[in-house]
Amino acid sequence: MNRYETLILSVPEITAEEVSKLEVQLNKMVKTSKGNTISFEKWGKYRLAYPVRKNEYGVYFLSRFELPNEEKDAFFSELKNLFAIKYHEIVMRNIVSAFDKDASMEYQRPRSLEEGPQEDFMNKKRDSRGDFSDDENDMFAK
Amino acid sequence: MARKIKLKVSPRLLKKKSRKSTFSGRKSCRFVLNPEMVKLIDYKNADFLKNFLTERGKILPSRISGNCALYQRLVAREIKKARVMALLRYTAE
Repeated sequence: MNRYETLILSVPEITAEEVSKLEVQLNKMVKTSKGNTISFEKWGKYRLAYPVRKNEYGVYFLSRFELPNEEKDAFFSELKNLFAIKYHEIVMRNIVSAFDKDASMEYQRPRSLEEGPQEDFMNKKRDSRGDFSDDENDMFAK
Repeated sequence: MARKIKLKVSPRLLKKKSRKSTFSGRKSCRFVLNPEMVKLIDYKNADFLKNFLTERGKILPSRISGNCALYQRLVAREIKKARVMALLRYTAE
């Protein structure tokens, strides 16, 4: 069994019904490939770094699952078709990555719009020395 | 007519030498010093990866960030993944 995760970027107008439909479909696909679903998380609404399909905002979902090695190729080609054809209107981008079995399930992600304002790094003002003022310097000091 | 006294060491060279003496040597890679930080390198962790971008959105060279080749490759790969997912910009607007 190998562990994989897929991050899905959907259109901001996605409804709760469509989300549950997508989740059920993913679970079903994993089950038919003799795998287990680990988690399906909704990150929330985000302001995108650049417009995708003329959308300034998007909603992210992270799904994690386990798959047996011999089933993975068929599963991923099916997943690709699912996002490209059936969910073409909803799913804008998706990325699949494998992660280690021993790796921790914890991860960090940027804050969504519902959780609080995002920090705009690109437009952050520099101080007189030309350095970024606060947390970046702390990180370099570590 | 007074002859001009030629300086043995030109002021330009002196300046150059002083610049050299202030150079503090190669920066050490923060990921080698702090192995716990390695797990922060992840395409989902866009806030952390932003530290390795210039204000125009380019990837910082390892000469500036001090990363060793191994972690520079890892960071660059994750930044490119995050760009695909619209978590980071390709360029400033």
